[in-house]
Amino acid sequence: MGVIHGEEMVLNIGPQHPSTHGVLRLKVKTDGEIISEITPVIGYLHRCFEKHCENMTYDQVIPYTDRCDYLAAMANNFGYVVAVEELMELKVPEKVEYIRVIMAELQRIASHLLALGVYGLDIGAFTPFLFMLRDRERILDMFEMTCGARLLYNYMWVGGVSHDLPKGFVETAFQFLDYFEPQIEEYNNLLTYNKIFIERTADIGVLPADVAISYGVSGPNLRASGVKWDLRKNDTYSIYDKFEFDVCIGDGGQGTLGDCWDRYYVRMLEVKESVKILRQALAQMPKDGDVHQALPKKIRPPKGSIYSRTETPRGDLGFYIESDGSPIPTRVKMRSPAFTALSVLGELAGGWMMSDVISILGSLDIVLGEIDR
Amino acid sequence: MSADQEKLITELVGKGLAGDMDPINAIEDRVLRSKAKAALAKAKRAAKTATTAAPTEEKPATETIAETPPSDNPNKKFGKMIEDTFQGSLDAELNDTHIQLKPDNWFEIAKWLKSEPSLYFDSLQCHTGMDVGENMLEARYNLHSMTHDHKIEIRIAVSRDKANIPSIEQIWRIGDWFERETYDMFGIFFDGHRDHRRMLLPEDWEGYPLRKDYEVQETYHGIAIPKVKVGWE
Amino acid sequence: MTVDTLFSWLGGLIPAMEGSGTLLVIAILIPCLVLFLVVAVNAIVMVYAERKVAAFMQDRVGPMGQGVGLHAGKWGFLQTVADALKLLTKEDIIPEKADRFLFILAPFVIFIGAFVTIIAVPFGETIIVADFNIGILYILAMGSLGVIGIILAGWSSNNKWSLYGGMRSAAQIVSYEIPAGLSIIVIIMLTETLSMQGIIEYQAGGIGNWIIFANPFTFIAFFIFFISVLAETNRTPFDIPEAESELVGGFHTEYSGMRWSFFFLSEYANMLVVSAVAATGFFGGWHSPISGYFDSNGWGVFWMLSKIVSLIFVMMWFRWTFPRLRVDQLMNICWKVFLPISLINIFGVGIWTLFFG
Repeated sequence: MGVIHGEEMVLNIGPQHPSTHGVLRLKVKTDGEIISEITPVIGYLHRCFEKHCENMTYDQVIPYTDRCDYLAAMANNFGYVVAVEELMELKVPEKVEYIRVIMAELQRIASHLLALGVYGLDIGAFTPFLFMLRDRERILDMFEMTCGARLLYNYMWVGGVSHDLPKGFVETAFQFLDYFEPQIEEYNNLLTYNKIFIERTADIGVLPADVAISYGVSGPNLRASGVKWDLRKNDTYSIYDKFEFDVCIGDGGQGTLGDCWDRYYVRMLEVKESVKILRQALAQMPKDGDVHQALPKKIRPPKGSIYSRTETPRGDLGFYIESDGSPIPTRVKMRSPAFTALSVLGELAGGWMMSDVISILGSLDIVLGEIDR
Repeated sequence: MSADQEKLITELVGKGLAGDMDPINAIEDRVLRSKAKAALAKAKRAAKTATTAAPTEEKPATETIAETPPSDNPNKKFGKMIEDTFQGSLDAELNDTHIQLKPDNWFEIAKWLKSEPSLYFDSLQCHTGMDVGENMLEARYNLHSMTHDHKIEIRIAVSRDKANIPSIEQIWRIGDWFERETYDMFGIFFDGHRDHRRMLLPEDWEGYPLRKDYEVQETYHGIAIPKVKVGWE
Repeated sequence: MTVDTLFSWLGGLIPAMEGSGTLLVIAILIPCLVLFLVVAVNAIVMVYAERKVAAFMQDRVGPMGQGVGLHAGKWGFLQTVADALKLLTKEDIIPEKADRFLFILAPFVIFIGAFVTIIAVPFGETIIVADFNIGILYILAMGSLGVIGIILAGWSSNNKWSLYGGMRSAAQIVSYEIPAGLSIIVIIMLTETLSMQGIIEYQAGGIGNWIIFANPFTFIAFFIFFISVLAETNRTPFDIPEAESELVGGFHTEYSGMRWSFFFLSEYANMLVVSAVAATGFFGGWHSPISGYFDSNGWGVFWMLSKIVSLIFVMMWFRWTFPRLRVDQLMNICWKVFLPISLINIFGVGIWTLFFG
């Protein structure tokens, strides 16, 4: 009895589609419901970020970095500023370092909440999305309190930050953390251990560790495959070595190691770790200090180049900056983690069904702004 | 600048050239500190012999600027290993910041870099294209090893007229997309790439935007591309 | 039943036409018109309820207005009216390459499938439009008409996504009718009649006589039935045919305006009917839980409606809580889990009745 081959259907998911995370087009070849090949097509959100950088001074680049990964803008700022400061060998005051870490960790929680909520929405669970967004609003309120903006901050400057923490920020932050920790349990009850959710995500889109490293996948996606690699510990920058926290890796809790559930679960664990770091940072932060004291009058890094990486919610964000001694960079290359995460989709999604593709895409947590720049 | 300040700076520069950066970093006064650093940079530049587009400040890892002895610096160490294994592949002198290679047998070198147990560079961190002027384009690879935790930077310079570099997308799979993007922005052709097309720009776009002499095309499918922003404010 | 009483009453009113065919037709049309209004009002109320229930479950307020005359009425009562008016005045877009006749026909077929089943639903002791002696079989049979409509909609849109939705839905509805039907057989075994009123008669006498509490197998049968009809009405967790995040809109992607609202009208009508069947079969229909009290005709309507409304609330509750199942997992559950359990139920009920009477 031979196998009947029907005609393969070529389908287009996107660019406008409710669950592609931005304008992404997926060319899909399917045989009935089973996908045989999937090709992502990107470039719909290309805004020539790197070309712009060659015409602006170093501090004028910072708002542009915000807009690349717009869901974790603080992390982008942080990455860029750390790279420029390393190039210039500029040391920032301790209070600034603490503020940066606090903002970066709050941003990590906010970004992960959004990623998890939207993932649930893709799977069909409408309610956890709204609960997570409600809690994310409180974080955005804290950001608004500090620098006036809710999404795109332009907060971290070369040598400091733009505004000092307002009065009452530390109390508000502690209140938020006390309110937020039990909420994580609620999310776990509602979504993480829900049988239907597990059936939709466990054993699907398994990413082996060596394939992940070869494709340059990093961050929670890599850690979910069992690789213990976190830039905050392995390649420490800023003052992360002063805090105690664990690196969360996936362990195949509900299925194979490296499946979609693991990627979801690692993000949930990272939120808990960020809460830990935040508590320590808020307690240890020096109360007084001038955040503008190390701002250089003119940012003129010496001639040279540097590649430096930081850990954003999506993975390692790398900035390759080449300077020729003038106030305007010669070349700024932003190596975004979502770019590498999306490149592995073609490898992961062959042989699964249409609903699984949505599931895998959601678990990779991509933001098109970062991929296209 | 007073005489004692000048003397202090000369002393600090001397110490810095020998590799000891702590006295300079310990200066409280920001102005004096930056002056000392500028003087140090100048002195280092003067001491360096002429090379190709190699920068003067070295920065192999994310630590302080302590000048490491030559044999410990990963770029120098591994550059020497590459030269020993593949004669004639180095395109410039060994230095602290990067390894300059010729494009000819890059594919074999890359395969060796990934598989050699003491090196084991299993992750291509970043791939940058660069327009270095003088009609040369460069492709820069930042490699990193997860097991040994060391990293190097490899640069391959090619001329604009014959901008061909062997593709390494079969060795580090992320090279597929990285090289497509570099081709898109710079016009460097990667021989052996299985899916050589533009990444971010439409397929029928003309020109390579990140080159320094790039001129935007006049129209795209009949839509005029505005160059002057008169009237936008 | 209502048609008969109406027929004789109208005959008394207009002696000239007594007993004639025209009078019969009028006597049939009037209740049907009333039922149509019931369906429309049901849709309006349920859309509002769904949005408010969803909102409160998601920690927000839903549609609100600040007073009559201000955009959506107090507490947003007029929201659905506003939605209906908007849909009525929308442009009617039919894709150029779509199969025009089938495209226009599909919503009507679905609606008919939902509407004709309502005439057999008993709302009170004498308030039923058509008391067939095969009532429940009629409802199950006519309810399957809707599948044709969905397939027509998916196919005629000339859109790959709609085709996906239509095919998924066809597979799902047709499969889940089997456990639903087998659970109904359990009821029929106990009541020995297919008539809706007859089934309710069997459960007279208060809450202890309701079939759901009769024996453990009927208890399980209720849950099997309820979940199967969730799948039949395309509600989450089985709403994969209209899975918004995957297929944009599934089989109703290309529909707009009033045609699109027909799909939802029939979905809510379907929900009403299957809740009514569940209330009739398992919860005693229009009988009050305490026999002898609140047992008149008018109260019957109240009890029936409250049982229906609670079941619909549970359906809405499910929608906003659970993620959705993938198509093959759905089919897996139907054929490998529900079908064996339903067969065991039938067997079990038979044995139980044999031994315990």
